[in-house]
Amino acid sequence: MLLVLSEEHKEHLGFLSEVDPAVVGEFGRIAVEFLKKGSNPKIYEGAARKLNVSSESVQHGVEGLMYLLTESSKLMISEVDFQDSVLVLGFSEELNQLLLQLYLENRKEIRQILGKLAPSLPHYHNLEWRLDVQLASRALRHQVKPTVTLKLHLEDGAKRSARVLQTDPATLQHLIHELERALAELKSSHCRRILRNIK
Amino acid sequence: MELSESVMKGLQTLADPTVFDLKSFTIFTEVAFDSLVSHRGGSVLGHPDLKHIDQTTLKHCHTAATTFILEGVKQNADKSTISSCLEDVKFLNERVDTFYISFQVGQCFVSLIHGPPHITDAEWRLEYCIKNSHVHKVNQPSYLISLNTERAGASSEINFSCTMDQLQDLVGKMKDAAKSLERATQS
Repeated sequence: MLLVLSEEHKEHLGFLSEVDPAVVGEFGRIAVEFLKKGSNPKIYEGAARKLNVSSESVQHGVEGLMYLLTESSKLMISEVDFQDSVLVLGFSEELNQLLLQLYLENRKEIRQILGKLAPSLPHYHNLEWRLDVQLASRALRHQVKPTVTLKLHLEDGAKRSARVLQTDPATLQHLIHELERALAELKSSHCRRILRNIK
Repeated sequence: MELSESVMKGLQTLADPTVFDLKSFTIFTEVAFDSLVSHRGGSVLGHPDLKHIDQTTLKHCHTAATTFILEGVKQNADKSTISSCLEDVKFLNERVDTFYISFQVGQCFVSLIHGPPHITDAEWRLEYCIKNSHVHKVNQPSYLISLNTERAGASSEINFSCTMDQLQDLVGKMKDAAKSLERATQS
């Protein structure tokens, strides 16, 4: 599947062919850093001064690279497709190889970062449990009433939350049984067939 | 809601504008709720803004107010029940409103009386994610778990997602708890 680049995008990336491949390598590194940690506009000015070009061109170049990498990683395009997509930019063979390496080395991590942007519910992080036995109360003595207190830790992006819950032994057994059924479902032939065939 | 004569009398005194003007009433209500909700809540006795009121009366009203609040929370009373009780002891409308606002805020300590929510059931859904707007070709199965809980007659749900490994971890820990429960009951 080929990547379709807009005219504006091609124009921004066009700047890269005017500079040294080493500089492009540096831009690539900066682009990946920005994807991982967020952008830092001061770097554009520093680079612009060294290369004697406008900081806007540098910004467009780096952002163009960032977009190229995220789109390619999102679609998980193959090596061949990536090379064909980049061909339309008319870069030198050396530059093409450089971009390809940049893509292949970083795509897994970029996909992980993009995955965190997708909408999701808080997900399970940990479960702590405690066994309590009520022995007596004001109304009734000589009791043996076991309860299980649970602390469910959930994580939503960067936020962690913990919910304290309680249950009795019978319900606990029921919960275990029900959730084991859920796990077993993944191993059923129906699920295996689907997991195998949708790739 | 059934209240003892002593509580009724204490609330009637609290309603009396000649004993508690509006400012003192508002301060008193805040301190009374605070004393139930937080450990470091100040005391009504010796409070600088309530010094002009007889300390015995103050103590009686405080007991009456806190008993009333606890009864209300215990029975999960709604606005009309609280309002009608307070109107019976001649609370003026604005005082009923002030009291009810504090009551709603104070309902957070329901857990002190009723304990944590009790899990009654678990529901699950197995999904296979193909793609989302940010990443294509995800191809990962995931579970959506919903725990039905109940507390003081009110039920609610806790929803969360997990991968197969995380669900195995969750079930493993639950089984540990069940096993030690069994061992404890056998010994």
